[in-house]
Amino acid sequence: MMAYNRCVGTRYCANNCPYKVRRFNWFNYAHNDKFDFNMNDDLGRMVLNPDVVVRSRGVMEKCSFCIQNTQAAILKAKKEGRRVSDEEFKDAVACAAACGTGAMVFGDVNDAESDVTKLSEDKRVYRVIEELGTKPNVFYHVKVKNRTEKQA
Amino acid sequence: MSTKTIYGIYGDDEDLLKAVKSFNKEGIAIKEVYTPFPVHGLDKAMGLKKTRISDAAFFYGLYGTTLATLMTWYMMNHDWPQDIGGKPSFTWLENMPAFVPIMFELTVFCAAHLMSLTFLVRNKLYPGAKAQNPDPRTTDDKFLMEIESADVDKVKEAFINTGAEEVTVRDLNLA
Amino acid sequence: MSHYESQVREPLIIGHKTYHDITEDIARPIENKSGKLWWLAFSIALVTFLYGLGCIAYTIGTGIGVWGINRTIGWAWDITNFVWWVGIGHAGTLISAVLLLFRQKWRMSINRSAEAMTIFAVVQAALFPVIHMGRPWVGYWVFPVPNNFGSFWVNFNSPLLWDVFAIATYFSVSVVFWYMGLIPDFAMIRDRAKKPFSKKIYGILSMGWGGKAKHWQRHEELSLVLAGLCTPLVFSVHTIVSFDFATSVIKGWHSTVYPPYFVAGAIFSGFAMVQTLLSVMRKVMHLEDYITRQHIELMNIVIVVTGGMVAVAYLTEFFVGWYSGSRYEDFTYFSPGAAVGPYWWAFWALILCNVLIPGLLWIRKIRRSFFWTFVISIVVNTGMWFERFDIIVINLSRDYLPSGWTMFMPTFVDVGIFIGTNGFFFVLFLLYSRTFPVIAQAELKTILKSSGESYKKHHTEDDHHHEH
Repeated sequence: MMAYNRCVGTRYCANNCPYKVRRFNWFNYAHNDKFDFNMNDDLGRMVLNPDVVVRSRGVMEKCSFCIQNTQAAILKAKKEGRRVSDEEFKDAVACAAACGTGAMVFGDVNDAESDVTKLSEDKRVYRVIEELGTKPNVFYHVKVKNRTEKQA
Repeated sequence: MSTKTIYGIYGDDEDLLKAVKSFNKEGIAIKEVYTPFPVHGLDKAMGLKKTRISDAAFFYGLYGTTLATLMTWYMMNHDWPQDIGGKPSFTWLENMPAFVPIMFELTVFCAAHLMSLTFLVRNKLYPGAKAQNPDPRTTDDKFLMEIESADVDKVKEAFINTGAEEVTVRDLNLA
Repeated sequence: MSHYESQVREPLIIGHKTYHDITEDIARPIENKSGKLWWLAFSIALVTFLYGLGCIAYTIGTGIGVWGINRTIGWAWDITNFVWWVGIGHAGTLISAVLLLFRQKWRMSINRSAEAMTIFAVVQAALFPVIHMGRPWVGYWVFPVPNNFGSFWVNFNSPLLWDVFAIATYFSVSVVFWYMGLIPDFAMIRDRAKKPFSKKIYGILSMGWGGKAKHWQRHEELSLVLAGLCTPLVFSVHTIVSFDFATSVIKGWHSTVYPPYFVAGAIFSGFAMVQTLLSVMRKVMHLEDYITRQHIELMNIVIVVTGGMVAVAYLTEFFVGWYSGSRYEDFTYFSPGAAVGPYWWAFWALILCNVLIPGLLWIRKIRRSFFWTFVISIVVNTGMWFERFDIIVINLSRDYLPSGWTMFMPTFVDVGIFIGTNGFFFVLFLLYSRTFPVIAQAELKTILKSSGESYKKHHTEDDHHHEH
């Protein structure tokens, strides 16, 4: 979980992260003509997602599992007085939604019926540097290599 | 005969101590003694009570610990407990080991600062205060004994007999 | 027979000094104009300070990207410098507090300047937690103050918060301890001051102190209690600083030997800095009779002992790194490892400066030599800088996932800020040496009769006369 607005930028979190997935905003990337990330003029800024806040200089960021989108799905369901369906969650996260082969799946682990829960109960599950006890939200399946035995 | 202030200046701390003991024997009340450094045994010879400033420090420290305990409980467990990396925030006692550095530091902070303030207040020291020693040489190498007495001659004799370098008589300073 | 000290102990005040001589010797540097040497040193210090200030302004204005740090190595010179300066500061408190509790009279001629060094060192240290932040303008959010965000509070579980409280307490209590001791000495300057401006300033600073017996009684008790409070403070503050590393999961950082290792290292580097400063000060300010060979030898003994502890800590880390059998510990210690990996030069600089060269202090002639003390003290401080650099950068550069392994290269801004803090430190210290009584003269007078050279000789003659 990352709260940009409270971050003072000590980078202690990034130092501690064994996966090194945290990225720091070293400079002002917006309104700064030393960089060209489409953030220097109004036209360029239309490329950016208006729902995601532009992080200021000195703030740490990392993958937020498209929290803005997942929250929107949750709130939509709440307003309609129903549960969020697994499909809605799958579409909420950009990388998983874009993945054409189904290599990346996102969902609600608390929902016993969701695809992601079923995948997490598989024998092939492992987490990177599991022994550290970090219990990351991202898990992988071990690649099955001895296919002939499996087919048999 | 009116009461006067008599100052006796000594050039040596051992002479001063002997003089204090001698004055006590003769029953002359000593108002104050000004020295350039703490003379070992002087406070006992003058019959000064033990200072309670260290006792005060103990209570200030206790106050610091209490303050830290209440602050951490209120902020982390009561007002807005959060799930930060799964750390326990349900009871203060569960979370307490993490608070030990804070509690210790606040204890030391309160004990040290409040005791020092007490020291300054009790000694009536503050920026802009007038120098309390009547003779500026007492911060150099002279030891001054201040007596308030109506029997000026007796005191003068006592000073000279105990080896005072200088004796001065002044009207009582009623300021 | 009062004021007696054994003849076996070397005199702590050399020459035929009287109480008045002590007053004069300590007041003289304040009352006289300073020489060309002071102005030269001050100019150099001021220029480097201003350069450092410029680098800091550049950093805050443009962003942490002007430093050499990167995604993998999030801390480098900033926190190295922070820990280095905090560590240096610990010697002053130790000399004032711990040696007072142990009744070591030799501390009296060095404690004032050592405490000054502590305070100025902590000033430098305190800069870094502020300027290393990406957004220092909201840095006040680390304080638990009621606010408009629903009163969003701070996270007391974080070692960074413990640091905030520890450094704030350490700095303020050190200043108070120093100042309380200074009051009688300021009174001495006030009573001698001829110029009305001097008299006024020192009058305000001395708060009206008159040396009354009751006040001295309270003063002694205050000093004892403050010493009793500062002793655990010294140990706790650097322990808390070590917790920044020890409580993490990074291999090489997550090590239970860190608290005692850091504390010993702090005392090691702090005493070295005291030696550096005092070696110069005693010559330039003509205080050779007060800061004697005995003093520097005793400080060197502390250096060699704490240096030994640090060396043992290194051995412990390497041993446990091997003994644990953890592949990840291997990255840091053995393969590629600190000694032969890409940072081998930083590692061997550390071993040379912290283990090998201070070993020379086992030789009596060297630890009683002013020249070698000065040289070795600078070597030790260099070594201790490398120790923090090695801990931070080597461990971050070779942590869990090899995909993240990278090197660190400082920029001119990193270097500029470091040099600037040195300049700032010396600006403060040089100003202090001209305006403050650099030796606790009131305290020192209490041991003149027991530890002064002429009194000791007198006692020897006395002993021969009165056969007891």
